[in-house]
Amino acid sequence: MSAAFVHAFQGEWLKRRRSLASWLVIAGSCFTPLIVIVARLVRPDGLARRYAADGFWLQLWRNSWESMAIFFLPMVAILAASLLAQVEFRNHAWKQVHALPLAPATIYFSKFAVLLLMMLQFFLLFDLAIYLSAIVPWLLVRGVPYPQDPVPWAYALREDLFYFVDCLPIVAAQFALSVRYGNFLVPVGVGFLAWVGALGALPWKYAYAIPYTYCMLNYLKDDASRKAAVPPEDFHAYAIAWFVVFTVVGYILFSRNRQKG
Amino acid sequence: MGTTRSENPHEARSKSMYCLETCDLHHRYPNGTPVLDGLALQVPTGSIYGFLGPNGAGKTTTLRLVLGLLEAQRGTITIFGKRLAANRIEVLRDIGSLIESPSVYEHLTARENLAVLQRVHRCPPPRIDEVLNLVGLRDTGSKRAGAFSLGMKQRLGIAAALLHAPALLILDEPTNGLDPGGIVEMRELLARLNRERGTTIVVSSHLLAEVERLATHLCILHRGRTVFQGPLEDLRRTQQPMRSVRIATRDDAAALAIIAAMAPDARIVDGAISLPAMPAEDIARLNRLLVERGIDVHELRPVVDDLESIFMDLVEARAT
Repeated sequence: MSAAFVHAFQGEWLKRRRSLASWLVIAGSCFTPLIVIVARLVRPDGLARRYAADGFWLQLWRNSWESMAIFFLPMVAILAASLLAQVEFRNHAWKQVHALPLAPATIYFSKFAVLLLMMLQFFLLFDLAIYLSAIVPWLLVRGVPYPQDPVPWAYALREDLFYFVDCLPIVAAQFALSVRYGNFLVPVGVGFLAWVGALGALPWKYAYAIPYTYCMLNYLKDDASRKAAVPPEDFHAYAIAWFVVFTVVGYILFSRNRQKG
Repeated sequence: MGTTRSENPHEARSKSMYCLETCDLHHRYPNGTPVLDGLALQVPTGSIYGFLGPNGAGKTTTLRLVLGLLEAQRGTITIFGKRLAANRIEVLRDIGSLIESPSVYEHLTARENLAVLQRVHRCPPPRIDEVLNLVGLRDTGSKRAGAFSLGMKQRLGIAAALLHAPALLILDEPTNGLDPGGIVEMRELLARLNRERGTTIVVSSHLLAEVERLATHLCILHRGRTVFQGPLEDLRRTQQPMRSVRIATRDDAAALAIIAAMAPDARIVDGAISLPAMPAEDIARLNRLLVERGIDVHELRPVVDDLESIFMDLVEARAT
């Protein structure tokens, strides 16, 4: 890793401060757990029994990830990529970025690395918010016991890793589109259509070939109702393959753009 | 990592006579419309190079090509004696630029905006306060750039261009959005940078009077070709024959009657007497005559073209 990349990355990381993309990461990661907290505080009936039951944490984990894996995670990836690129478009700053003594690869990958780090930040905040969604009702509602089960950290981290890998194709494709098109609607529209298509294709036996399905497949892999055609083979490898393809294609499109800024 | 670039811009500067040269530069828009047609610029090292031309003449396209923001279709660009195409990153290290509207991250403060660039240029952190002070934005504190006036954004854009003490400064319409006081300050700042640091400055502007006050050298561009390039004085010398003589007196009507014999075409225009151009000896004789007849002369001067007239003449001559 060159010094130029490290310094460019530091600059890009500064740019995301107080940006809409950074607020989106915080809001998106806390939304579902916040709903869980509010629902439990508003309707505390049966909470004590639920907290005392076996498998409390795993149940909470699956409940929290349901909306996240199917909807919020793809949407956050789509919007975060677009908002990050919009920081340059909206401020007419691409011309300044391209006039810096940096190679196109340094410019592209330093910004992309910031997006990836923001997604990691999103997972970390989401895990913390899930934990708080269990703790806050325990602290505030009288008679609710602390869950007996130990927190399954190893399981959570493994699943986090899978979800992270599975969202990478969306992140790479959306980033490639977002830095290419100044009109915010293009990447967001394409991303939304791809997400709807992926959702519709879940029962199809080749759904695993569609790059926007992997987060959903990871959630539904243990689903007894078999809403999705989860392939027997390791679909995470497909996610990595798509990620590489979208990253390479995205960089080629970026570097060959004749008009910069 | 963590290293700072502390090289002296004087050392970095090319020893070449020209800091920036273009040769046979051509460019067409994607629809085939030609923008530049064999442009050959020669920006002397240490000069303030005014880049003038009507809208659509190709000024911004040229500056974008020079910064590598557009891909050169034909011709070469040499900066600090090095070909831009082969040495882009090395060359850009010593260039500061402000193209069209300032690139300002509106969700960040002025200091944060510069901190982004400070990382990339690896210049010492105190340099941020230095340039903020230089452009008069030191006291903006936590105010976000989105709340700045256009003039303040323009100053921040200039500060960003100056941050790494570049040897070549390329400014496209730098006084846009500045109030008259700001324009004077900007002019003084650029003149000081040029004088004290030897920074070569290329400044494009549609404010001809502004360029006239600032530039040492000038390029007039029309339809993608240069119609004049050289020192400002050369332009004045070659293009400014005396057009008329203007005399203002205590009593213009009486004065007109006195000088009618010497200059029958004299007439009163805009509160003064206007005479056709004449040799210096004749002007002196006229003055003596008026004074001898008891007419006080308040003003006596040859009327020559200002830069705007010269500019228009050159452009119109090229158009016909």
